[in-house]
Order: sequence, then structure tokens, then C-alpha cells
Amino acid sequence: MNKVLSNKKAIVFFMLPAVLFFLLVILMPVLMSFYYSTLNWDGMGSGTFIGFQNYKKLFVGNVDNFPLSVRNSFLFLLASVFIQIPISLLLAIILSNGVKGENFFRNVYFVPVVLSTVVIGQLWMKIYHPDYGLLNTFLRSIGLSSWAHGWLGDQNTALIATFIPTLWQYTGYHMLLLYAAIKSINPEIFEAAKIDGANRTKIAFRVTIPMILPMLEVSLIFSVIGSLKVFDLVYVLTNGGPAQASEVPSTLMVRTIFMGYQYGYGSAMAVFIIAECVLFTFVVRKIFRALQRD
Amino acid sequence: MNKVLKNVIAGALSASMLFSMAGCSNSGSDTTSGAQSGDQQVTLKLWHIWAADSESSKVPFLKTLDNFQKEHPNIKLDVDATENETFKTKIRTAVAANEAPDIFTYWAGGYMKNFVTAGKLLALDDYLNDGTKDKLLDGTLDNMTFDGKVYGLPHTMDVGTFFVNQELFDKYNIKVPTTYDELVDACKKFRAAGVKTPMAVGGKEAWCIDMYLDILQVRSAGYEACINALSGKGSYEDAGIIDGAKRLQELVKLGAFGDSPMSISRDESEVPFYNGEVPMYFNGSWTIGNVNKSKVKDKIKIVPFPKVGDKSDSTDLTGGVAGTFVVSANTQYKDQAVTCLKYIAQGFAKEAFEAGVSLPAWKLDIDESKVDTLTKQLMDLTNSAKTYTLWWNTYLDGSKSELYMNKSSELFALKITPEQYAKDLQTMNS
Amino acid sequence: MKKKSIPAYFGKAILYICLIIWAILCLFPIYWLFTFSLKNNTEIFGGNIVGLPQVYRWSNYSNALLNGKVGIYLLNSIIVTAMTILFTVLASTMATFAMQRMRWKLSKVAMSILLVGMMIPIHAALLPVFVVMRNLKLINTIWSLIIPYTGFAIPMGIMIISGILDGIPRELDESACIDGCSIYRLFFSIILPLLRPAIATCAIFTFLQSWNELMMAVTFISKDEAKTLTVGIQSMAGQYLTEWGPIGAALMVATIPTLLLYFMLSSQVQKSLVAGAVKG
Repeated sequence: MNKVLSNKKAIVFFMLPAVLFFLLVILMPVLMSFYYSTLNWDGMGSGTFIGFQNYKKLFVGNVDNFPLSVRNSFLFLLASVFIQIPISLLLAIILSNGVKGENFFRNVYFVPVVLSTVVIGQLWMKIYHPDYGLLNTFLRSIGLSSWAHGWLGDQNTALIATFIPTLWQYTGYHMLLLYAAIKSINPEIFEAAKIDGANRTKIAFRVTIPMILPMLEVSLIFSVIGSLKVFDLVYVLTNGGPAQASEVPSTLMVRTIFMGYQYGYGSAMAVFIIAECVLFTFVVRKIFRALQRD
Repeated sequence: MNKVLKNVIAGALSASMLFSMAGCSNSGSDTTSGAQSGDQQVTLKLWHIWAADSESSKVPFLKTLDNFQKEHPNIKLDVDATENETFKTKIRTAVAANEAPDIFTYWAGGYMKNFVTAGKLLALDDYLNDGTKDKLLDGTLDNMTFDGKVYGLPHTMDVGTFFVNQELFDKYNIKVPTTYDELVDACKKFRAAGVKTPMAVGGKEAWCIDMYLDILQVRSAGYEACINALSGKGSYEDAGIIDGAKRLQELVKLGAFGDSPMSISRDESEVPFYNGEVPMYFNGSWTIGNVNKSKVKDKIKIVPFPKVGDKSDSTDLTGGVAGTFVVSANTQYKDQAVTCLKYIAQGFAKEAFEAGVSLPAWKLDIDESKVDTLTKQLMDLTNSAKTYTLWWNTYLDGSKSELYMNKSSELFALKITPEQYAKDLQTMNS
Repeated sequence: MKKKSIPAYFGKAILYICLIIWAILCLFPIYWLFTFSLKNNTEIFGGNIVGLPQVYRWSNYSNALLNGKVGIYLLNSIIVTAMTILFTVLASTMATFAMQRMRWKLSKVAMSILLVGMMIPIHAALLPVFVVMRNLKLINTIWSLIIPYTGFAIPMGIMIISGILDGIPRELDESACIDGCSIYRLFFSIILPLLRPAIATCAIFTFLQSWNELMMAVTFISKDEAKTLTVGIQSMAGQYLTEWGPIGAALMVATIPTLLLYFMLSSQVQKSLVAGAVKG
């Protein structure tokens, strides 16, 4: 048994493809970004080595509001973890519990995920538009004209206005992951719980959620990394504006590298984002280890 | 198995060449220019930004390329078009990795400076004394000349242009403004009459805001003060510049740009203008091409931007020569690339002008009958022009340009005072 | 079976109403995109944003589709995505199996290291990956997209598959070993079939990632023969004016295959789930 499962040759065989791709595509950018981040370099010509100066510049005497963008991505993270994931989980549990039209609902809820950012971006611009947007039209029609304003152009609402489409779009994404996991549970376990007289809520908390902890962990890690790296919709909807109110680290990084010609400094942002992701992933895993031990 | 692994690792490690990329500058002069005989068959890569069918420059440019191919069967062009914003990322990556196309479109001023400093572009001085220089309008090489060397050829000129919809002014019985006070007055009257947006601006895109801010600053500070601030000789904390910033905020506060200009993109802001719902619009002269395709074609007039004080009048314009064609320093066929460059720069200038898309940076034999009314009105302005202040976000390079766009957005969002704005900009010169 | 009480019925009704409202919210974009693709800018930008088009401009579709090379772009997108899915699924299932089920010292560490692939902001990777692809002489070929797409999708694939492989009892491996099954047979003929739902899920997610990717597709490819659909659509956006109708039509054309593929895979997930929930 052990001999079969610790067969060195087999391990190499199974790991090889993934490792090859990793070496070619992942390892280089990480090392390179780290190297670039220690340079004062415009992406062309010659760079000069400046050690950790770029990292210092991110937070000490910062001029481009990087700390603010990090704060915004943390808010994103909190919203994803505490609003989006619970909704996804609830939907997954309801759908896998045998409602009528289970397949239909499951397919439909995933539709927003399938649409490209351009479509979703354009749609939400139509919703938020100050003059003819659906949201303002609706508010005016129920007599709340005073509430109508330019959602994406107002510094107080721009951030929330970019959150909502992202949260809405990816709810179906996490739902599908959790749904697949619930469906992989042996139905006999549910039968047994029912015979013991457990009601639905109890089954959800005592059986379903503990059984799908591994996938819940996966879902949370995707969600955490996705929030820290969030770019696409923010770029399309506001590009970090107005006046950086909805700036996130990725939008700032792209502008720094490709418009601001500060490749070294922008790479420091990239490395910072990677480090954040590593740290948070580690935290999520630790939490789940503890949960699974209970 | 292991052999394959070794090869791939070697492949990945060859990327360690990357590490040396940032370490040493590639002067690009070590490429051997191949056998430079005129009759050998070569292929040149050419990248440009006029990809979309809605792009008014696309047809004139493709026509130019066609003409070139017919006249130079020995130079085959391998052409690729990319949308403007993504092009910026694409070209920078390609140039950084020394994989630049032989010829490409780029922007003058600060944009180019970075490539020139890194030795990525071919200096053209040796090729321009065959009469090419004499065919150019005066001063059009200024924004592409660095340390006395020319690195690009201009094609068209883009000027900040003030469009007014005469029909709307007549309808509400309002005078087309010639001074800043009249402009404020007109905006107030339009707002009172229920016109929501007296002046269009796609505030989501910083450069659209900069269009207005640039001209206001030139109008209140004058050309000299602006250029001195930009070049670092003077200061952004000039009273005139601060005054220009103040006036922009004043216009924002009275709703001259509508209720929430910062939430709309340029596309969204222009549609009502082409539908005849917006009386005034200040943007680049390329807008003419789109106006001519729209239903307000006969109602739009071009007038000088209103005067603010006595430091500047209608002879001071913003914009100038911003677009250029350049040759990569790494090209294998310098002669052919430059031949092509000269041809398309001039040819495109002519075709674009005749299509009513933009003004040429070259001396052309102008066939007046081919020119549309709006372009004629624009030429009246440019013919009497004394100074051109290049768009500030084009004049400035890289991070400075970013800073300007950030600060102009903050100013427009009323997040900072004009004084603070000027102070923040002045950090560039310290 | 006891009779349902009134409140229970009431609760059910509310539940269905909520489900249906959410469904409408999710289906609306498709309806909107379809009408959008038949309008002109005036309607799109304020004239008529959600109603049916005043004039059905089918010409938007001919503009988008006859725009030269849509056929080639579509084919490239399909090839690139199919290859990416194939490689991702293979590499991820094999690696996950090795790291989760086989016994070796660094298996946990390897898992953590491979995950880093998900954390790289794509724009920061553009230049390094470009240089690697150039050194492999792959720029301007579809391989310059397939390889990075696969590399970036593998960590996600590993995560998804490990989330489901965890639920497959280890006793299976043991009984297989006792029956004298080789490790390769154990994986290919016992574990892989059980992973069908995981593979389908992984395929869906990989598909989405590579089908819609823009930045690398723009940067690494400058030849029409190797361009993908996203780049084709992107090139319809203008510098100084954009006609959105034809773009909507192109987006519609790009979206339909995605939906079809998703429905196919999703029913596959359903079937395999019903057929064989693993007996523990």
C-alpha cells in the first residue's frame, strides 16, 4: 500500500506537467517582478538598484494614494466574504435540496459569470447613468428624485457602485462550486440525518456545511485572492475614479507601469499584492484546519 | 523524460536574459543594417491605432498604405492595428523586449521622450535633408526633437476646438460667448432654460477634463507662463494658472458640465452633443469628422474659446502636433523603413485632410473645394495662430503626466482647492 | 407523509418568489445584450436603453461578422480555449492526485507553491511572460497564449479538484492496492471517472478565463492568423468614436458559444452526480 503510494517515479510522472507550466509561466514573472521592484526603472533603458526604496514609497511619504487603494480592496474582501459567499452558499443549499426547476435555476444563476466584463460593464453603466440610468429613473418614478445622482461620478458612492456589479456577477460562480461539492456528498448521509428527525436548518449546519468545508475553503480562497487582485470591472466602470475614490491596487499598478513609466515602483505594487494574497490564503487555511479539527 | 525537463528548464532560464534587460541599456545601434540595395524584397512590420470602422482616420490611413504598396512593390508591409488604449500597453511591452515593429504610430512630447532616452528610436536627421524638412510646416518637429535630434515625423495636427451649436443658442436667444463672463452667463441661462448640460465633458476620462483645464489655464496665464511651468523654468503656482483652475471649478459648481459629469465616459458625453442637445463642446479637432457624420452637421460652428483676461486671445491655441510615426532603432532595414515613414507621414496628412478628419502638419497643395465648412472654420483659426500649447498630459512625461491627470480630476471633483492643486503640481519642478 | 401546514406553503411561495427574482436579475443581461446589439448609439446612450429596438438593425451583425476575419478569430479562440482546457484538466488532476493521495515529503509545500500562480496580477506578468515566449520563439503563435493560459489556470484547477477529491474516500485507494492495481491504473480507471463533476467544473472555469482574456491576447499576437475573438472585438472600439451596436453584435456572437458550452458541461455535471455519488 505505502509502497504503491510513495512510488517516486509515479510522483514525478503525475507532477511533471503542472511543474513544467509552473516553471515556464509562473516562476519567471514572480522572480522578475521581485527583481524589478528593487530598481528605479522606467521599463526601458537602464535601471538603477535602489533596494527596498520602492516598497518604502508605497507607504512612507506616499503621493499616489496606494494605501487608500489597499484599504478599498480590503473593503472588497470583507464584502465578498460576508455578503457574497453566504448568499452563494444559501443558493447552493436551496438548489441542491431539490426545489422544482433545480437545473434551470442553477444554469440561470451562472449566466452573469459567463458574460464578459465588457458586457457587464456596459450594462451597469446604463444602470448608473445620471440622466437616463435605470436606477435614477426608478428613483424618480417613486418620488425619490432627491436620491438620484451620478453614482459612479460621486466620490461617496463610486466605490460601492463598483462593488455591487462584481458581487452580483460572481455570486453564481461560488454557488456552482459549492453546489458541485454538495452534490458529491453521498445521499445516504442525508437520509440518515432525516431519519434521526433533523430539520432542514439542522441538516444544513450539522451535515452539509461540515461535509463541504474543503470546497468552502476553496471558494473563500478564490474570493480573497479575487478581491485583492480585483481589476476588470473597476477598470471598465471607473478606472479608479473619480479622483481615486474607487482606486484599487491593480488599477493603480497598471497606470503606474504603463502610463506612469515607473516599472520598478509598479512591480513593488505587484509584489505587495502577491504577498497579501499569500498571507491571506495562509490565514484562511489555518482557520479551516482549526474548523476541521473540531 | 529527464532530457525534456532539462530542455524546458534551459528554456525558462534563458529568460534570465531578462535580468540583464533592466541592467544595461540597449543602444540598438549594434544591429547591422542589411544589404541596403534598393531592389531587394523586404518586409516591414507596421503597427497603428486606427482599427475600428468608426474611426474617421481609418479609411484615409489604409488608403495611404495602399498607395505606398503600389508605388513600392519591393517593400511589403505587414500591418497590425490595435485599439488606442491597449496599444499603449502592447507597444511598451514590445519595445521593452526589443521586439518593436519597424514602424509604428506614437505620441510626441513626454510619451516619446522615454523611448528616446532608452535608445529605442532611430534618429532621422541624416535622412531629412533631401527636402523633407522644407515640406513640413514650421515648428512641427519641435515635439519630436530631443537633444537636437529628430526622432519622428508628424502627420496631422490636432487642435483644441470649441464647438457651439448655433441652433440652440438661437432657440434660447443666447449670445455665443466671446469672453469668460459671457460663457458663465450663457451656461446659467441654458441651465435656467432647462438645458441640463451646457458643455459636454466625459469626466470619467481625465484627458477630457484636461481639454478644458488646459485652455482655461492658457487663457488666464498666457502661453509663456504655461510653457515655463511645464518645462520647469517657471512655477505652477503662477497666479494665472491658479486663476484658470479656479475658473474650471467655478464652471463645475454652476453646473456648466451637467449635474454629474464625472460619472460618464467620453462616448456617453458626446452622443447628446451629436443629437443636438448640448450647446457647447471643447475637445480635439478630430471631433469634426464625427460631427460631419451626425445630424447636427449644419448647426455646429467653430469659434475661438472665450477670452479670460488680456494675457491671451484667439491666437493662442492648445494642442498642436501630437501624433507621429517613428522608426524602431532595431530595424534591419533602416533605409526602407525611413522611405516608408516619409511616404506615409505625408500621404496620411493629405488623405486625412481631404477626408475632413484633421489638419496637416505638412505644406500641401490644398484643393479648397474638397474641404468641408468646419475644417475651413478651423483653418481660419490656425492660420492666425501664434502659439500652440501642447496638451499638458502629452507634454509631460510618464509619472508627471499621471500626476497632472490625477490632480486635474481632483480639481474637477472639487476635492482640492486651486491653490493646493498648483502646489501639488509644483512638486514636479522641485 | 404528514400534511403540510399553511405557513409551510407560505414559506415555500416566498422562497420561489425570491429564486425567480434572482433569476430575472441574472437573465436580464442576456435580453439587454440582445436588444443592445440591434440598436445604434443614439438609442444605446439614452434614447432607448432597455426597450426593444425601434428599428431592428440586423446590419450590426453583418458589420460585425463580415468585418474581415471574425471566422479566423473565432476558430483561434476555440482552438486556444480547447487546448487550454485539455492541458489544464490533465495537469491539474494528475498533480492534485499526487499531492493529495500519494505519500511524499514535500506534497503540502508543493501545493502551496503552485497556488502562487493565482496571485499574480496579470499586467505585472506581461513583460516577463512575453520575454519567455519570445525566447521559445512562440510569439505570434497560438502557443504563446495556450501556455500562459494553462499556467495561470492550473492553480485554480488544482483547488477545484482538491475540493472534490477530498470527498472521495481513501478506502478506495486501499482496496485498489490490495487488488494489486498499479498506481497508474488506480488514477486513470478509478479516480478519474469519479472526478467527472470536478473536471466539468474545472473546465467551465478554465474556459471562462481563457475565452475572455484580453491583455495577453493583444500583447503577444500581432498577426491576424493567430488573433482571438476578444482582440477582434476590442479592435472595434475607436479612438475618437465608437459604434457600440456592432460591438454588441460581436459580443453576442462571442457569448453564445460560452452559454452553449456551459449548459452542456453543466448537464454533464448533473448526470455524473446522479449516476454515482460515491459510496463511502
